[in-house]
Amino acid sequence: MNLKITALILIFSMFLAACNSEGNGEPQTSKVPDQKWEDIEQEAEGSTVNLFMWGGDNGINRYIDDWVAPKLKENHDITLKRHPMDTNEFIQKLQTEKKAGKDKGTIDIIWINGENFKNAKENQLLLGSFASKLPNYEKYINQDKNFTKSDMGTDIDGMEAPWGNVQFVMWYDSEKVKNPPKNMDELKKFVKEHPGKFTYPNPKDFSGNAFLRHVLYEKTDQDPKLNEKDDPSWLEGEDEAFWKDLKEISPHLWRKGKTYPESLSQLDQLYSKGEVWFTLGFNEARGEGLIKDGVFPPSTESFVLDVGSIGNTHYLSIPFNSPNPEGAMVAINFMESPEAQLAKMDPSMWGEGMVLESDRLPKDIQKELQALNRGDTVLSTKELEEAYLPELNSTYIDWIKEHWLNEVVQK
Amino acid sequence: MKLYKNKRILPYLQIAPAFLLIVGLLGYGVFNGILESLQVDFSWTVEAYQTLFGNSAFWTSLWYTLYITFVSTMIALLVGLCLTHFLYPYLVKDRWKAVIWVPMLFPHFAAGYLIVLLFSDSGWISGLLFQSGAISQLSDFPNLVNDTNGLGIIMTYVWKEIPFVVLMLLPVYVQMDERLKDVVLTLGGKKHDEFLTAQWPYLWPTIIEIAIILFAFIFAAFEVPYLLGVTFPQMTPVLAFDWFFDGNWDQRPVAFASMVVVTAIIVMLTIAVYSSTQKYRHRLMKGS
Repeated sequence: MNLKITALILIFSMFLAACNSEGNGEPQTSKVPDQKWEDIEQEAEGSTVNLFMWGGDNGINRYIDDWVAPKLKENHDITLKRHPMDTNEFIQKLQTEKKAGKDKGTIDIIWINGENFKNAKENQLLLGSFASKLPNYEKYINQDKNFTKSDMGTDIDGMEAPWGNVQFVMWYDSEKVKNPPKNMDELKKFVKEHPGKFTYPNPKDFSGNAFLRHVLYEKTDQDPKLNEKDDPSWLEGEDEAFWKDLKEISPHLWRKGKTYPESLSQLDQLYSKGEVWFTLGFNEARGEGLIKDGVFPPSTESFVLDVGSIGNTHYLSIPFNSPNPEGAMVAINFMESPEAQLAKMDPSMWGEGMVLESDRLPKDIQKELQALNRGDTVLSTKELEEAYLPELNSTYIDWIKEHWLNEVVQK
Repeated sequence: MKLYKNKRILPYLQIAPAFLLIVGLLGYGVFNGILESLQVDFSWTVEAYQTLFGNSAFWTSLWYTLYITFVSTMIALLVGLCLTHFLYPYLVKDRWKAVIWVPMLFPHFAAGYLIVLLFSDSGWISGLLFQSGAISQLSDFPNLVNDTNGLGIIMTYVWKEIPFVVLMLLPVYVQMDERLKDVVLTLGGKKHDEFLTAQWPYLWPTIIEIAIILFAFIFAAFEVPYLLGVTFPQMTPVLAFDWFFDGNWDQRPVAFASMVVVTAIIVMLTIAVYSSTQKYRHRLMKGS
């Protein structure tokens, strides 16, 4: 009897598997609309655009729901729906839809960068090259800038459009720390004097990984610069100083380095409760909203490390099976408009930097930009620009992730 | 003849809806997982399993998972059994049942978070101790959450599963023949003989069943270790999740392979236990 059931299960599963592979022909994907822009705008009118994005930040959500969505409705009669979902999950959703041959999806715009873009591009989950069709992209974005060409080592080819530029900074509680450590030597000294008050997120986390990329810059800074080599294999034998310092601070970190926060939000939580005195992350203006919401103590200040501050760009893109590519393009174009980018910089909303060239902006927007007070915890544009470091190829992220467990935690 | 045939087929028909649901959803998932673990770039290979078995992090994780599962299951069973054994006259009353049932109302994730709120370094208990002067610094409080021994995970599971153990054992106690206890006493048995000879034979098949359910559940669970675990070692499901959702998609077959191994362990354990106790269960059912 047992055998019969097993046989039944097997037959049934094979049947299901067969169903699956039958539908596996090349899916009929949507195409990048090739009409004139006016026609695209007309087509998009009255439609609904579904935006899938990471939803873990109140300021960002506020900006989309309270500013972008109503304006888009008003200007283009487009209904923008925000769906909070972790980036790797909607990329996975698209991958599943691709496999199942589902050519009419549910997602029109996705918010991605770096490795997610690389995966999406390599697995043909994106609609195609659309960025150069957007009037605002053509008009206000400097096409010579590297962030329009390459996203952490992956050629963009117009398949995603830049949305925001952020830089990596550190935050600390100025009531507890007078002179924050700005390089590894100072940090080593600091953690020995104040055990348990510093830590960084597990490098699986994007921000935790970015902290280690700064340390990597500091420990191996040489010519040619790290970012010009897209393959970290040359680090073999050159990485001793890097791991040695990380190992040295490890026992003096939070929880004696036996465990690390799994995510940036966990580190923020520890900082908020005063368990640690530092937090970190991309978006130099992130602290403003968090102080206002009472998450960070009011005595929070920010600083950049001596080695510099990695600048990272994030993008908007359209999936291969978007049911409304016209609406998606109009919405993305709007989000790259001077007024939308300026509103995004407002610290009560999101607060992050714009991707547009300031001297190409209309005069009145330029004036507003100069008058804009980003908040006391945000470093000056000059200081941030001087500290600017280019982002590394995404292969370095994997390299750090892969070796960190062996080199730092398990020893 | 026809009747005989129908009688044979009828049970199969009756079980068909449940069977289809389980095989259709679960079976298909497992089947697909196995497929994915055996395919790299559309060609068949056992490469993923080779990588997996050669990975020391996986072995550490597997032992760690076994340890946490075993300890949680044992404690939950023991406490649940004691509670039912000594309190069952009360527990059959709705009022007391409700008290024991409370932890069942919480999803596992909420239970895990409750443990964080209570037992973390900056949690309520550490705060209370600090206020009362028992510890001089919040960080002097022992690490009970996100600790390498998995205490937080174990606490969550014990707290959540005790009511389940009670729920499963109560009917056994209710159905037990009270007169057997009297027989033991009349024949000169002691209190513990009463338990061992009159009650244990009825209890242990159910206890083993509960143990298997708990084992399978904790062994393959994700959310609690994700919330309360440490960077290293990780429980296997968390490790698999990380591999699956890692930016580097080459790791995906390995993630599937690790879950196939977990499933295989559970299935083998269940088969082993059931086949070795089947005879006894049969006799017990017929005898009563």
